[in-house]
Amino acid sequence: MGLRWYHFALWAGFIILMYAMPDLVSKGTLRTFIFANFLAIFAISWDVLSGRTGYISFGHPFLIGIGAYTTAILTKRFDVAIEISIPIAVVVTMIGSTLFILPALRIRGSYFALVTLAFMELIYQLVQVIRPDLTGGTRGMSGIETLTRGAVNGYYMSLSLMLAVAISMWLLMRTRVGTALSAIGMNEDSVQGSGLSTTRLKLFAFLTGAFVAGLGGAFYVHYLGSIAPRALFDINFVFTIIVAALIGGSSTIIGPMVGAFFLTYLLEYLRPFLPGAERYFIYGGIALIIYIYQPKGIYAVVMQAWERLRSGKSA
Amino acid sequence: MGTIAIGEKRMSHPLEITNLVKRFGGLTATDDISFHVEQGQSVGLIGPNGAGKTTIFSLIMGELRQNSGTIRLYGEDIGGLSTPARIKRGVSRTYQVPRPFGEMSVVENIRVGLMPDSIWKMITQGPDREREIELALSVGFSENDLNRRPDELSMGDLRKLEMARTMATDPSVMLLDEVFAGLTKGEIAQIGELIQQMRRDGMTFLIVSHDLKALEPLIDSAIAINYGSKIAEGDYADVISDPDVRSSYLGVA
Repeated sequence: MGLRWYHFALWAGFIILMYAMPDLVSKGTLRTFIFANFLAIFAISWDVLSGRTGYISFGHPFLIGIGAYTTAILTKRFDVAIEISIPIAVVVTMIGSTLFILPALRIRGSYFALVTLAFMELIYQLVQVIRPDLTGGTRGMSGIETLTRGAVNGYYMSLSLMLAVAISMWLLMRTRVGTALSAIGMNEDSVQGSGLSTTRLKLFAFLTGAFVAGLGGAFYVHYLGSIAPRALFDINFVFTIIVAALIGGSSTIIGPMVGAFFLTYLLEYLRPFLPGAERYFIYGGIALIIYIYQPKGIYAVVMQAWERLRSGKSA
Repeated sequence: MGTIAIGEKRMSHPLEITNLVKRFGGLTATDDISFHVEQGQSVGLIGPNGAGKTTIFSLIMGELRQNSGTIRLYGEDIGGLSTPARIKRGVSRTYQVPRPFGEMSVVENIRVGLMPDSIWKMITQGPDREREIELALSVGFSENDLNRRPDELSMGDLRKLEMARTMATDPSVMLLDEVFAGLTKGEIAQIGELIQQMRRDGMTFLIVSHDLKALEPLIDSAIAINYGSKIAEGDYADVISDPDVRSSYLGVA
């Protein structure tokens, strides 16, 4: 996998810093961090599914929602233990993601994105119409069992999950399977022409992305203790996930993680000055400047600086 | 496996096409074509633009599906298989327009060609760096080129990369589509020498080229097609002097 000493050093430094955070910041800030951790999980999931393959998912809440609703319904309505309901929710999400492969066999690019968006709308309508006694209909569900109490515990839980997801996906994408998925995004026909089944590779990307999305969705609902369909199946939520992944740098795993923190904090720090929707202008403007300067996101900006530093040292 | 399979392999031709037909609407792009290529032979496929040469390649690789007829690889009917399944059985092609992975280096492009079609093996086994470099050097790249990206490469280099990625799939039959188009004289000589080397090593070739002068020394025999039909077959000299071939190329009888 080509791991170097600085990979270990950077991860170790990051992990130590993050675990020390509750001693460094206020509880309120910690709650923002919790949201950033979950957003990072969703952005990483998006990156696994779409970042390399170029099969842009606009329907990520579809996957997250399956995970969240499955475990919520199992624990609240059927008294299933969380330890059992979360694995089931992840498996159900992965099964749900196989629906993505149907359009992916024939269409790509923006057409694929629109079909996945339709999946999200579909499940939004379904939870409202079908068995509202189970799903809670339009109002959603509350009083769902929570895993943790208080901001500090919630932070540790979300952080541990986010780090486990980030490191495992980062390692996975450094293997040849990551190269193969990137190749699909660059020229799918040539991947076929190299003797690789692209359908199987895409299915692998979708299932892995869904695994992460389902896991994130299930833990998120057991952190919040409630589920609100209108906030979950919302186009703004889709864009927040995608912008986090792109602003950080897609197909890098680290990028979407960084992007999620950047985005969350940008919006949070602008809140006192601009309480209304004007914040989104600033955030849009900053996103735009980063794209124009470096379309591959913050990750590439940092990498370039690092390369310059290294070549400067050796020169 | 075992002796029977080897025996069969020896008895049947590497590539055998029988009564192949492909229609696009009202146009018959491949019209009842039959031919075979013998073990270790190199056959040139010639004909004017639009004669249907590339269509035959696409049919052999499964990128297009025939309306009727059979395609056999070492005796096995591969006409219903997917492209990766055919490549696994030992046939591979290059493209007229090179199709590299744009944001990958030369070695990474070759890496994709070398990958086994198993996700488990892709994850658990690292890349074979020695083989990647060996392939890159064998098609004429220098050490300095290994980390170059396609947008830094000339047309000749892109064709070399195409060759290397095709060779990486470990074929026993190679289909080369217009390998000399857009190349300098030096590059033509280089790729020609590479093909000669592979012929000596026993590779079976089917080669499409408009550059007849470059093609002639690389082939044992030729097949000429026009409007999707075979119009001549045999020794290159005989094929090229055939009146039908001359009229299809030059418009004179």
